Amino acid sequence: MLENFNFRIIWEYMPFFLEGLRNTFLISIVSLVLALLVGISACACRLSQWRLLRGAATIYIESIRSTPLLVQIYFFYFGLPTLGLRIPEIQTGILALMLNSGAYIAEIVRAGIVSVSAGQIEAGIASGLNYFQRMRFIILPQALGVTVPPLLGQAIVLFKDSALLSMIAVAELTRSGQVLSSERFMPSEAFLTVAFFYLCIYFFLKSLADWSQKKLIFREAY
Amino acid sequence: MMLSYFQRLIEILPFFLKGLKMTVAVAGLGLIIGTLFGFLLGILRASDKKWLTWPIGVYVALIRGTPFIVQIFIIFFILPDWGVQLDAFPAAILAMSILGAAFICEIVAGGVKAVDRGQWEAATSSGLNIIQKLRFVIVPQAMQTILPPLVGQYVLLIKDSSVVSVIGVMELTRVGWLTVVRIPEGLMVFSLVGVLYFAISYPLILLSNRMERKMSLGQVRL
Amino acid sequence: MIKFEGVHKWFGKLHVLNDINLHVTSGEVVVICGPSGSGKSTLIRCVNRLEKFQKGKLWVDDVPLHDHGVNLTQLRAEISFVFQQFHLYPHMTALQNVILAPVNVRKMNKAEAADLGRETLTRVDMADKFDSYPAQLSGGQQQRVAIARGLAMSPKIMLFDEPTSALDPEMIGEVLDVMVQLADEGMTMCVVTHEMGFARQVAHRVIFMDEGELVETGQPDSFFDNPQTERAAQFISKILTH
Repeated sequence: MLENFNFRIIWEYMPFFLEGLRNTFLISIVSLVLALLVGISACACRLSQWRLLRGAATIYIESIRSTPLLVQIYFFYFGLPTLGLRIPEIQTGILALMLNSGAYIAEIVRAGIVSVSAGQIEAGIASGLNYFQRMRFIILPQALGVTVPPLLGQAIVLFKDSALLSMIAVAELTRSGQVLSSERFMPSEAFLTVAFFYLCIYFFLKSLADWSQKKLIFREAY
Repeated sequence: MMLSYFQRLIEILPFFLKGLKMTVAVAGLGLIIGTLFGFLLGILRASDKKWLTWPIGVYVALIRGTPFIVQIFIIFFILPDWGVQLDAFPAAILAMSILGAAFICEIVAGGVKAVDRGQWEAATSSGLNIIQKLRFVIVPQAMQTILPPLVGQYVLLIKDSSVVSVIGVMELTRVGWLTVVRIPEGLMVFSLVGVLYFAISYPLILLSNRMERKMSLGQVRL
Repeated sequence: MIKFEGVHKWFGKLHVLNDINLHVTSGEVVVICGPSGSGKSTLIRCVNRLEKFQKGKLWVDDVPLHDHGVNLTQLRAEISFVFQQFHLYPHMTALQNVILAPVNVRKMNKAEAADLGRETLTRVDMADKFDSYPAQLSGGQQQRVAIARGLAMSPKIMLFDEPTSALDPEMIGEVLDVMVQLADEGMTMCVVTHEMGFARQVAHRVIFMDEGELVETGQPDSFFDNPQTERAAQFISKILTH
């Protein structure tokens, strides 16, 4: 079934694939950094004293978590122009990815903070540490152990999700597959190559996540 | 102006409900088949036989390591090259089942492994065979660990079903996309699509959260 | 009933059973003691093949366990095993725990099995707890249910792996009482335990193991009062001062 597999065409299109790969990287990294900012802010709002902030954060997080990313992408892609905002597809895509991952990251960070027991904080207060010292020496190190592995998991999800931007014609990895597939009618070469690149990045990120899990989980260590 | 759009939206509502039905059909069938195979593979994956766990691990990694949209393209555009021509609907069900089984397999394997070894030994020494051990002793206990993440996974899979719109399955997201071409009110159209997804997935999110809380309090009884 | 002939077992490099020769006859009660890690649990776990061994021969009820293709399910139905940590099924009531194997292995019908289960639980003095879940029972009660679970299969042999070690002191008596009663009824029993009182009262033989070897065997009274080997003497003095 693979006897007709045309490696030459893959080679011919390689610069094109690599450009898609580069864009996938760029989009993922930019979105991830922005999503971290959004997520931490949303988490802070969700844990805040003010009901209004808390309510807004909850609505944001829950509405993102209960609708598909593709719908969110279309929402911005078709919706922003109706508000008179015309921005390039790639920025629309990053906006959607940022808001989407931000909601999940908010929940991950919240779980991390909540996981540090009240007893730990009290122990810190009792030994005379101030707020920043408690954060620095007690809460953050423990919260990180619970937070970093799922954050890396979210990074993997984000980078795979960026494939959906191909649907709004962003020239990333999956899009380059679609273009080769339709220009030359070679879907096998196109999509198997795309899948191969995704797998490479996946295994890299996965081993990073596994490593961090081993390194950082010292609570309940055995 | 606004009103006339709204009226047209009302006219189009039956179209949306048809899309909703299709989403339920694709996601529902995919979930059922995915759950069946996921449990089967998950139980096998929890065994200590390398020749069993290894190929399942490869399958899971291939599915988890590539975007769902690429998997759909492979199934829809490449399988015909290999002599398997599928219509959009069966292709969508196949893709959803393969995706679901991979993720559910990992959840089930985790749950089965979490059951205390003593339970296996007790069941073994009463002379139960492997099917009886799983059915009466191991799986009922594993279900406590499996259920909360399983319901969470269902939510993710229902949302993933939006991606099958790319091969022309007339489900909710596809309907939204076709509508927005005729009624250029992106915000409104995709808000409506989002609300309909919310109606399916939010109850499941609440259920999953509740089960998780109960789990952590150790109150789940089956 | 049980016959070990030159049985060896290794966990990796660790020689956990070293040339075991032992014959337990029908109706005999054998107590096995020794320091932790001496291989005593492994010894009885071999009898129902929870553990495999690499060398030697072992017959249980005339079934050669060293042969391939032994019907283990059938064998295990005839042997009951009581664990240190009880291992009751937490999602089932006491009665459900007891009748699971009779219904599914012996293919008894449910009503009949329920009668048997209630009868067996009454024998271990748990008549008022048929419908309790393990989490609602004390350790001693759980262990008695575990014994009933074994008894309900009308086994030819019962194996006990430190059945009282996980119990609070005030609950040890109630479990030992049930075991004494079983011994008096003529059950073939192998019991890994340090309960000297129990050994003196019902054991026909005490076996002392150390570092995978079967070091000494004797009548309970003579073993405890007058051990023949240095290692056994040391061990006994330790459990006495304990």
